[in-house]
Amino acid sequence: MSFPAENTSIRVAASGCLTPFGDTNATLAALLRGECALRPTPVLGAEGGDAVPLALCPGHTLNETAPPAWLRLLGSLAEKIPGNGWGSPRRPVFVTSSNFGVGSLHAFRHTRDPAHLAFATPSATVGLLQTQLGWGANVALLSHACVSAHLGLLLATRTLHAGLADEALVFSFDFLSPFVTGGFHALKILHADFPAPYQNRDTGSIGLGDGAAFAVLTRERGDFAVLAQSLHNEMHHFTANQPDGAGFDACLAPLAAAAAHRRPWLKGHGTGTLEAGRLEATALARAFPGAPLVSWKGSLGHTLGSCGLVELALAAAALRAGRTPGTIGSAPPAFTAAVALENFDNRSFDTVLCASNAFGGAHAALLLSHA
Amino acid sequence: MPSAARMPRCFSVMLSRFIHAIHTEDPGFEEPAATRERLKESFPRGATRRMTQPGLLIATALAGLAPGEDDTLVYASCYAESRALESYLESFPTPSPTLFQTSIHPGSVQQAFIGRQQPVRHFFPHAGRAQLVVHAVQTALLAPAPRTILCGGEERGTWLREQRAASDRTFAFALLLTPEPAGALGKISLVASADAVPEKFLLPAFFDALHARQAIDAAVAAGLRLTLTWQVVWP
Repeated sequence: MSFPAENTSIRVAASGCLTPFGDTNATLAALLRGECALRPTPVLGAEGGDAVPLALCPGHTLNETAPPAWLRLLGSLAEKIPGNGWGSPRRPVFVTSSNFGVGSLHAFRHTRDPAHLAFATPSATVGLLQTQLGWGANVALLSHACVSAHLGLLLATRTLHAGLADEALVFSFDFLSPFVTGGFHALKILHADFPAPYQNRDTGSIGLGDGAAFAVLTRERGDFAVLAQSLHNEMHHFTANQPDGAGFDACLAPLAAAAAHRRPWLKGHGTGTLEAGRLEATALARAFPGAPLVSWKGSLGHTLGSCGLVELALAAAALRAGRTPGTIGSAPPAFTAAVALENFDNRSFDTVLCASNAFGGAHAALLLSHA
Repeated sequence: MPSAARMPRCFSVMLSRFIHAIHTEDPGFEEPAATRERLKESFPRGATRRMTQPGLLIATALAGLAPGEDDTLVYASCYAESRALESYLESFPTPSPTLFQTSIHPGSVQQAFIGRQQPVRHFFPHAGRAQLVVHAVQTALLAPAPRTILCGGEERGTWLREQRAASDRTFAFALLLTPEPAGALGKISLVASADAVPEKFLLPAFFDALHARQAIDAAVAAGLRLTLTWQVVWP
């Protein structure tokens, strides 16, 4: 069955992100210079282990402190959110993450220090964030691994179009800890090799990174618009996609139809894994023939549940700047001819597709353009 | 708290759907191995071997609702996969890849759907505590799909429960919601109420009302009431 995209356009009044490079502008500038934030880091932090590519924000170490060092980082990001009264009945907040405070849970297990427990569950973590940032009670939490941020964007859109809110804030954060680095290392996709998204090579690998971001959505204000959104969950296998790429096609087809008269460039998920990267690049080339494709996870690492919002803020900044960073970390040959390894001028394009994928064959994508 | 009180006339219904099917699982303090043994006949041979207790219970709750690809699926859980989370943490310094996967929210629902090889387009897994019920219900009621499945549950933890970082109960539920009143078992609504002062209404209380087919009329957020009524004739 063909399913339409959720094509009720919504405006983006503001967006911003935080990465190891700094804020949105600093991150975009670093990507355009081709810099890589990933560094070889012991996978279990102070406990050692293999050196794997991780991108940690300055001041944040892999081993969690109590309170977590990233609380201060989120405070600096939140200062850039315009307006106030967030979390009130007409100004809901959608907090999305795959990690929340799970690093604190790992730290408690490791150190037995009960101080970590104050941050150890999603509700506890966000409760402290509400207090720190002065948010009210109207804060929804969503967690669906690496498509989490997209779900917040879609629910915020629906809430606004239902007339249940005047503005909505989507806020996402994921900071690394041995809990998550150890897990991906155990899955054997995080190892010594640095990621090379969409590069046709013998072995795949990913890098992981800290990341946080926000977007303020409104019905009428803002110089960017999310034109359409699409989701699909294959439910084929926990860590593998359907081998024919049907899951990617199912998510992208509604957006290809919505972008039929547009000139998009593509910000893919592109973590650096081989099979998923090949399927994604091929499906994108089918759905959007000739559109250039980039991934920035070869520099920033995979920011997990927040990647959709971090990369949305960067895509908006790239549209504003007229320059799109290339696929850092990768070299020829690529999976398809559409993979853009170098920076390019995006002023001849009018739209960007932003896509993310997650465990369980979860897919999410949206179309972003100037309003 | 759940109550059979009639809705005052000053309320205006913001969002509502009719309940067409419901399944609840309340195994009490049953251990995961006992749950697996009790439910194994409902699954293909060998399929339960790697499933967690919440995976088994959610899969059982969902089975009678015949979920389809175009349904919207909403999941609510404060702590989710408590035992898998505990076991994964215990596996350090040699973390288990299998436990890493199953400890991730919303692993239990994915176990159920992957077991059935059943894709679903829209899936919204909620976390949280104080506002979990209202937000999950609102997500379900906002869904444009003809059928929405609202499911959820918790798993009783062990050492995390002692630290108040896991549930002290195990339960699961699934509701099939549609806009069609004919043949409905009940109706669930969010109604605007200017004077509603939020009271504590957590996921276990919501489950208890569903399990006992009790009505609900609770102020679940500022200016917002959740109402649930059963087996009435809809105008």
